[in-house]
This record gives sequence, C-alpha cells and structure tokens, in this order.
Amino acid sequence: MAAVAQLQRQFIEYTTSLHNEGYLDDQFTQLQKLQDESNPDFVVEVVSLYFEDSEKLLNNLATALQQKIVDYKQVDSHVHQFKGSSSSIGAQRVATVCVHFRNFCEEKNLEGCVRCLQQLKQEYILVRSKLEALFRLEQQIVQAGGQIPMME
Amino acid sequence: MATFIKHVFVRIHSAVNSWEKSHSPCRRRGLHRDVEQDELQHTNTNCLSSYYSVFVARLAIMVMLAILIGLLTLLTWHFTKVYTRTSLNALAYGLRYELLQRPVLRMWSILNSTVEITTAQVKLSEYVVRKYSKPENQAQQVELYEVMKDVTWALFASHKALNSITIKYKNGFVQAFHRDPRDNSTYYIYNDLTNYTMAGPYDVNASSSHQGWNDQTIHSNISAIWYREPLDPDTGEKIGKQNAIPPDDLINIAGISQVPYGAPSWHVAVSKFTNSPLLSAAMPVRDAPEGSIVAVVGVTTSLYSVGQLMKELVEFHSGHIYLTSQEGWLLATSSTTPLLRNSSDGPKLMMAVDSQDPVIETGAKWLLKAYGGKPPPNHEVHIEKAKLGNQLYYIDSFFLNLKRLPMVGVLIIPRKYIMGKVDERAFKTLMILISASEMKLRAILISHLDARRKAEASSNYKSQFLANMSHELRTPMAAVESGKLVLEEAEFDMGRELEGLVDMFSVQCKNHNVEIVIDLSDDMPKVVQGDSARVVQIFANLISNSIKFTSSGYIILRGWCEDPHSCNENGNFSLDQKALWPAPKNKLIQQESPEKNSCKDKKVILWFEVDDTGCGIDPSKWESVFESFEQADPSTTRLHGGTGLGLCIVRTLVNKMGGEIRVVKKNGPGTLMQLYLLLGTPVDIPQENYKLKYADHNLKVVLALNGSMGRMILSKWLFKIGVPTWDACEWNELTHILQELFIPSRYAQSLTYECSKVESISKQEMEVSVFIIVVDIGLLNLSTDIWKEQLNFLDLFNKRAKFAWVLNHDTSNAIKMALHNRGHLMMVNEPLYKSKLIQIMEAAIKEKMISLRHGMLGGDTHEFLEIDNVHSDQESSNDSEKSEINTIQVEETRRTLSCSRYGAINNCFLELTEVCSERNKLGANETFPVVNYGDNSQERRIQYVEKAINGKKSLEGVRILLAEDTPILQRVATIMLEKMGAIVSVVGDGVQAVEALQNPLEDGMPTQTKMRDPPPYDLILMDCQMPKMDGYEATKTIRRAEMGTDLHIPIVALTAHAMSSDEAKCLEVGMDAYLTKPIDCKLMVSTILSLTKLQPKS
Repeated sequence: MAAVAQLQRQFIEYTTSLHNEGYLDDQFTQLQKLQDESNPDFVVEVVSLYFEDSEKLLNNLATALQQKIVDYKQVDSHVHQFKGSSSSIGAQRVATVCVHFRNFCEEKNLEGCVRCLQQLKQEYILVRSKLEALFRLEQQIVQAGGQIPMME
Repeated sequence: MATFIKHVFVRIHSAVNSWEKSHSPCRRRGLHRDVEQDELQHTNTNCLSSYYSVFVARLAIMVMLAILIGLLTLLTWHFTKVYTRTSLNALAYGLRYELLQRPVLRMWSILNSTVEITTAQVKLSEYVVRKYSKPENQAQQVELYEVMKDVTWALFASHKALNSITIKYKNGFVQAFHRDPRDNSTYYIYNDLTNYTMAGPYDVNASSSHQGWNDQTIHSNISAIWYREPLDPDTGEKIGKQNAIPPDDLINIAGISQVPYGAPSWHVAVSKFTNSPLLSAAMPVRDAPEGSIVAVVGVTTSLYSVGQLMKELVEFHSGHIYLTSQEGWLLATSSTTPLLRNSSDGPKLMMAVDSQDPVIETGAKWLLKAYGGKPPPNHEVHIEKAKLGNQLYYIDSFFLNLKRLPMVGVLIIPRKYIMGKVDERAFKTLMILISASEMKLRAILISHLDARRKAEASSNYKSQFLANMSHELRTPMAAVESGKLVLEEAEFDMGRELEGLVDMFSVQCKNHNVEIVIDLSDDMPKVVQGDSARVVQIFANLISNSIKFTSSGYIILRGWCEDPHSCNENGNFSLDQKALWPAPKNKLIQQESPEKNSCKDKKVILWFEVDDTGCGIDPSKWESVFESFEQADPSTTRLHGGTGLGLCIVRTLVNKMGGEIRVVKKNGPGTLMQLYLLLGTPVDIPQENYKLKYADHNLKVVLALNGSMGRMILSKWLFKIGVPTWDACEWNELTHILQELFIPSRYAQSLTYECSKVESISKQEMEVSVFIIVVDIGLLNLSTDIWKEQLNFLDLFNKRAKFAWVLNHDTSNAIKMALHNRGHLMMVNEPLYKSKLIQIMEAAIKEKMISLRHGMLGGDTHEFLEIDNVHSDQESSNDSEKSEINTIQVEETRRTLSCSRYGAINNCFLELTEVCSERNKLGANETFPVVNYGDNSQERRIQYVEKAINGKKSLEGVRILLAEDTPILQRVATIMLEKMGAIVSVVGDGVQAVEALQNPLEDGMPTQTKMRDPPPYDLILMDCQMPKMDGYEATKTIRRAEMGTDLHIPIVALTAHAMSSDEAKCLEVGMDAYLTKPIDCKLMVSTILSLTKLQPKS
C-alpha cells in the first residue's frame, strides 16, 4: 500500500511540475476530469489521437516548407490546426510556438518559419515524452491497485 | 507718352494719306462730310492741303479717343481679373486651410488628452504608492498591486480612445491594460509576479537612483512568464482564463529609458495589434515629491481617428491629406493604404515618400525635390500649380509646432477641383463673364465649405469634434469684444441645428452619466433668419458649461416660440419668472415698426432654457457670471477647466440678436438659464399639425428608454398629439407591458363565449393600429450573451409591432448586425428626440400602408394564432390566474377603445403591473419549478439556465450535431457534451453537416406540421475551418435552405482564433454564437442552453 501512496505522490508531483513548467495547462486537467467509468481511457485515447495528428501535421509542415514556392496559406492552416489541437489537450508550450509560427507565416518569413518548425518539433517531442511518462506512472498506479489521484 | 502719341499721329497721318490716294473715288459716294469736302474741292482746290490737315487732325483725335477707351477697358478688365483671381485664391486658400486644420486640430486634441490621462495616471499612482510606501510583507505588496489595478482600470475604462496603459514597477513587475481596436476586446496583461518579488524585496529606499533597473531585464529575461487575461470591455471583469503569451507579443511597455531625466516623454510608436501608429507617452512615478522613481507609467493612444477624419473630409472634397512627423514619417493619411510596413522584427513606420498611395507618394516626392533637405521655415508651403503625373494640384502644408512632436500636415487637391472653371476661362476676354463666373465660383467654394461642415455634422465621429469645436468657438472672442462682430442674415432650420448640437454633446454626457434632452415645442418656426453659427455658438457654450458642472441627472434644452402679436400664456413659462424680465414684446414692436413695410419677414421671440441638475450658481453671482472674464488667454482657461468663460460671449451674442439672457430661480438643485432671441421668420410657413396628421393611423407607442427625462418629455408630447403611450425604463418592465399588450389574447381561446367577443375586438384593433416599440439598446444585457435571448423574446412580437432601436455611439457592429438579421431595420442613435420619433412613426406608418395594400394582414393574423396556440399548450398556470388576466384584458381593451387618453392608459398600466407582481408572488410560492410562460418567460428561462448549469446533466436530451474535422476535438467535445446528457452526432466537414440537415428540410412538409415535426438536431456546433466546405459556407447554405420556412437551427461557431475578430464574420454568415478553442465546458453549456428552446418537463 505504501508503494501505491508513493506512486500517487510521485504522480501528483510530476503533474504539478508539468503544469509549473508550462508544458500543460488547465485544459489537460479538464480532460482528466472528463474521464470516468464510462470512458475509462479517455485521456490516453485523446492524447494518442493528438500524437497521430501532430506527427501528420509536422510532416505536412516540413514538406510544405521545402517547396520551391512556399504556400504560406497552407502552412498557416496547418499551424492553425496544430494550435487548435494542442490547446485542446492543454499542450500549452506547443500552442505558444504555434502563435509565433503564424506571425512568421503572415510575414512570409521563410527563415522564421523554418526556425519555428524546429522549435515546434522539439516542444512536441518534449511534451510527448512527458505525457508518456505520465501515462506510465498512471499504469503503474493502476497495476498496483491504486486510484489515480484527481488534480484540482 | 507724348512721343508715343506723336508717333501714332504720324503713322495715322501717313496711313490716311495713302488710303486717301487709293480710295478717293469711292469715298465720294460716301459721307455727307465728304460731299461737302468735295464741293470745297471744286470751289477751292487751293485750300485742299489745309482741309486735309483739318480732316486728319479730327480723325486722329477720334482714333486716339477710341484707343484710350480701349486701353481703359483693358486696364479695367485686367484689374478686375486680378482682383477676381485674388479673391478666388483667397477663398480657395480658405477652403484648403480649413480642410487641413481639422485633422491637425484632432491631432492636437489627441495629444492633449493623452498627456492629461498620463498625468492623471501618474497622480493616482503616486497617491497609491505613497499610501503603501513601505510594504512589510508580501500580502501588503499584493494589495498595492490590486489597488493599482483597480485604479488603472477605472481610468482606462473611462477613456475609450486609449490603446493601452502600462505601469512598470521598479522591481520589474508590469501591469497593463490593452484594448484591441479591431474588435474592442480588452485585456489585462501582467508578468509573473513571483519571479520578481521573491528575488528581491521591494524596497523603495534601496537605491535612490534608477540605475538598478533597466528595460533590458524584461525582454531578455526569458524566464519571465507573461500572462494576458481577457476582460469584459465595460465592467473589467475577467471573462476568460489567463493565457501565457510570448514576450514579443506584448504591447509597448514604457520603461525607465523613456524617462531619462525623470522628465515625461512622448513619441510615436507602432504595435502589431493595430495598423495605425500610436501616440505613446511615458512619465515617471515618484515615491515622494522630488523622490526617486518607483515606476513608469506609459499611455498609448491610437491615431486611427485622425485618419478616419481625413477620409471623411476627402470623401466630400476630392484630394488627399496626410500628416507626418517633422522627419517625414507618416502618422495618418486620408487613403486606405497601410501606414506601417512589415519587417522581420515587427511593423515599422513608413516615410510619406514610400506611401502606396500614388498621389501621396508623388506629392511627397515633389515636396522633397522642390525643397530638398531644407524645408521652408515653418514648413509652410502653398503651391498653386504643382504638376503630379498629368494633373495640376494644389499642395499646401502646415506646421504644428508641438514641443516634443512637431508635425507637418500636407493637403493635395486637384487644381481642377477648385479652380477648374477659372483656368478654363482665363483666355476669354469678356469682362461680364468673369464677374458672373466669379459669383458662381464663389458660390461653389462656399458650398464646399458648407459641405464640409455638414459632413461633420452627419458623421458618426462628430462627438469627437467637440474638443476642437469648443476651442474654435472661443476664438472669435476678439471679434466679439472689439464690437466688430457682424451677424450673418440667412435662413436656417433652428430645430435641426439645435438637435445636431444635442447629438454632438450626447456622447460626452453619456460618459458623464448625464442625460441630455432637447424639448422644442411644436410652435417653433421651422425656418428662421439669422446667424446660425452664432446661435449654435450660444447654445454650445451654455451646454458645455452645464456639462462641466453637472455630474449626475440631466441637462434639458427647451425652446418655444412666443408670437408677439398674440398673448398666449405659455405653459412652460411661469408668470413670476416672466415678471423678472423687461417686456421683450415692447422692444420687439419698437424695433419692428420702422421697417414694417420694407420687410416681408416677421420677427418672432424665441424663448430657450438650458436647465441642468448641476451644482448650481450662487444667487449673488447670477449677474456676475456673465461679466467675469478674467482669463484673457483661452488656452489657460482650457487648462484650468474654465469657469463660465463662454458666458461673456454668450451674453454679447444674445444681446446682439436683440435678446437677453439671465440665470433664473429653479425649484430643485442646478442652474436654469433663460434667454430669448429676436429672429426673423418667413411669414407663411405653416406649422405641422401632428395631432391631425397621426389621427387616422391609430398609432400606439411603447417607449422603453433608459433616460427618464427624455422619455417623459416624449411621452408627454405623444399624449398631446393623441398617441397612446406606454413607458418602460428597464427590461422587466418592457416584458410586462408587451405580454399584457399582446399575449393576453391567447387566454381568450380557453375562455367562455362572452369573452371571445372582446378578444376579437382587440384583435381587430391590433390590425388597424400601428404599434411601435421603441427600445433603448441599453435595456439589453450586452455584457453577457443574455441579449440574444432577450432578442429571441422580442421576436415573438415582431410581426405585430414595429421595433425601433435607439443605439449608443459605441454599439458594436455585431449587435447592429444581429438586430438587422432579425429584421429590426429601424435604428436611430441616441438621444431620441421628437424629430427622430417622427421619423420612426412615419416609417412605421408607411410600412403598414404597404403591407395593407399587399393584403398581408390576413396572413399575419393567421401566424399570430399559430404562435398563440403554441403558447397555450405550454401554459400550465391555473385557471384563476387566467380569468384574472382576462378581466384585466377586457378592461384594458375597453379603455383603449373608449378613450385614448394618456392618463387613463397610464392608470391602466399601473393596475396591470400590480397584477403582474401579484402573479409573480403566486409563482414564487409554488414549490415545483415554475414553467408558466405567462408572465415573464425571459426571467424564467434565465433562472432555468442558471439552475441547469449547476445541475449535472443540464443538456439532457439535447440533440447536437458536431461538425469538426480534427479527431481530438471531436473526441473532447463529444465527451464533454455527452457528460452533460446531450446526444451527439459527429460529422467531419461542412458538406456532411449540410447533408445531415437536408433531408428533413427537403421533405416538403406542409407548413402546419413544422412545429410538430422538428429538425433532427436542436443545435449545431460548427468548426470554422474544415476541409471541403468550411463552417462559414456551411452556415450560409443552411440558412439559405431555411429561407422561407420558420426554421432556424441555432449554430454555434468553434474557432481557434485567439482574437475574437472573427466573431463579426460568424454573425454575418448567420451563426448565433461563438466559442473559442480550447473549449471551455461551462461556457459551452451555457451557450447551448441559451440557444436551445427549453421545454422542461415538470
């Protein structure tokens, strides 16, 4: 039982740190609250959708920026979509980079866009690994027979 | 001259000789004189030569005379032409000067107000900072910031033209308010407080110099997290959660570098949030007088309105205006081309020579070429013929020498616009034409000047002219004092001038929370003779004085006419007050008698009152206020707020117009100024008899207005002309009136025989009468989404009455659009006064006539019945209530029919409200949720919504179509909605969304079954950006399909835009509400609830 309590404490600390470091925001807490008996794997499900979607979008963006004549409108719409999905799961830092990205897009600043894409990739990979770690913790708690603590 | 004549003489002599030789044969046959000479020739050929010389001398004299006359003519023509040109040039110059002076004055007033606000903010900050001078713990410090936030908000909220206020504290903490002019969204911006306060304690005495802090720390300190939270633009309440924003998204934060020597500074700045340059002022806040700097306050104002004014000016006069800094950076232009250029590190100011507007660009280049780097002293340039491209232009520039921001205004007008006619006729020699055309041109130019004035009067921005206007009004002081003032004599519409004035002051009054009312009696002559500008000046001074000293209540401008030949006692004017006045009538008759025969006009005495509820004037000073003119320089007065400055001019002008002015005793607080003017009026202009005019139309008016004074005056007037009126000052009162006026008819259906007779009468009456419901936009709850619900409620009555809306100066386009989309087409700007109400009534009558002619009436009644049926089904109140209401209905109908007397109706209305409140009490006593739509469905629904939000499954059974392409959002939104009990169907694009609705729509249902067989969804959540067909297009398609049916499925937009600038677009295509991503669950639920028709099962 002590192990569960330990894990739970760890979970809370980790989640708090993710919030404090700006990786996640309230929106993620909202998602966690939506998860219940009728949708037991809701958060994991949505976040996996997000991973799939993001990787597709990042690929699309990379391709779009490599074109001879860059279609900034298309780039912008990808970034826009990325921002929408990131903010919907609460990946705040990814969303923030998207805001910058769109500004460069508006200016048709290729250099800025490419730089932002790099940043976007980094932020995405960071948040993915953080979320994966969080889910592993969750699994461990569940396997140990504990309840996932609710964040307020 | 002598040699010239001699020369001419010799030439003529020789010419005559040669001519004589060659033409002598035919000459004989000619003149009588020649015959004489002939005879002489015959008789005395020896004297021939002497005769020749006599003849030649005569001829020479004649020719010389002719030449002299010719020369004289030429000279006269030349001088006339020169004079004409000079005078035309002077006029043209006047026009150009006036055109350019406006924007420059506007600029000046923006500068002034920015500095004033900055100073005010600094004073407030200093007060607060000193109060919390030594915070001992963090709690106190947080309190300081909280107080500062409140104080700053108060200042920010009351100055709508402000772009931002920022305060940067010594410890690096920043508080800022920012307004996005594009959609009026308002934000509070601050940085991570803990980062700074934890790091170093707040100690104002630590270092007296400001070297310890600089701007760099903010922008280079990446670890600082900046937050922005959206605020309600009116109340300042937080309306969304704060978001972290990257530092380079920030507005301009004033820093210590901007107040280098502790002195205030200002400059022109740019921001990515607005496409117009900003005026930015910065001032230091000190902890003690002469103490150290503890914070820096920055204020930015948009120069947008200057450009707007320029655009309006050139709409009426062709040409181009632009304003630059002394160095040539563009600050505002009359064109729509951008003022800023984008660069990699944000927008930058642009030089005039780089403008995308071709005329401005070439004009600026021309000036640069002509003057190079050395502009003429004062930058004053007046070029009459500058060739830009293929056209000749006037180029004028004027210099505004402000200490810290010298500016240059440039005006470029096509020459053909002003002098086209003159240039054309320059070669024509006829003097008469010139003088005639001079008159014509003069008329044209004067009409241009007039057009400019009118353009301003009709403009939306006219309120903003006020600062300039009052300044302008004070300038002729010198002329007034020197007694050289000559009054113009021209016909003008007194009513319209005064109404325009009240329109203009209304914004200022609104901001001061004072109601401004104009009450002109029907007997005022439509047209009077006199100097309209000076008359306006009188009242502008009086009203602006009243505003200055009135902090709450009202200001009324009354006017009525006293016909000198009749002895009518005027109701507005009590006898004892009149006794105070020397009889103006005698004066009038004296004045009038000598010119009685020569003049077609008759003179009338027009009485006016300016009545306010301000602080009043001590009776001992009633006389001296008109004399005390101590401050010689108007500018000092402007700084000091001025005390009765204008009154001296006012009295001079009033006296000049044969009138008098004085302060009279008033019952209650405030000042009552009374004056009369003696003005001419054309004899036979018949007065409108409104009573006769509207007698046949059976008008009925509901006045739902916030301002009680204006409402009272209007309803009094309506009573006088025999139009029944109902008054309401707030929303609930209006709903009571509407329901008692319109809905009671439905009770009749479930009633006994006898009553249905009454009902039919009332229905019949409804058909022949024109019902007008005038609603103040201020009655709607615009701070939340409730107003949409309120409009839904009003829609119930839309077919039976004409709605007219009284809008504010700051009513947003989204609301206007929403009103328009719901078929509310009649809108006027506040304040509402008689002539606007007349316009409304006439428009309503006209519409009614048209609909009568088209036989729409039958259809309408049918629909009424339909609506009534629906309501009857939902009605669940008990029978006793019904019968109670019905008796009231009977009584009310009888009264309305028997006598349309105001008092009676008013009484009747009182009884109705009593009954309503009775029923409210009844309702409140019931234990189960009250669902009777009978008395106040609006209130009930809101109550229900509130209840529902608190409850868990508040969307139980609501069928929602979700159109969203990203799978994540599909999932999240679906779960959110399902948790609330909604039934959700998901589609991935706009095409599918339309298809999902189409089948039931195209079923070709007979109209009667519509209500029984509703569409498959109660509401659509629509993402704006989707593949195949986006949300906007899909909405348009759905709305098109709904056309001609009674269906209107609520559509809520989902967008990821951080700014809500797209809201207007959403509403425009026919969406009903707007949600931003990420979805806020509570907001979504309340939005859905407010839009779906709640049919709770009790």
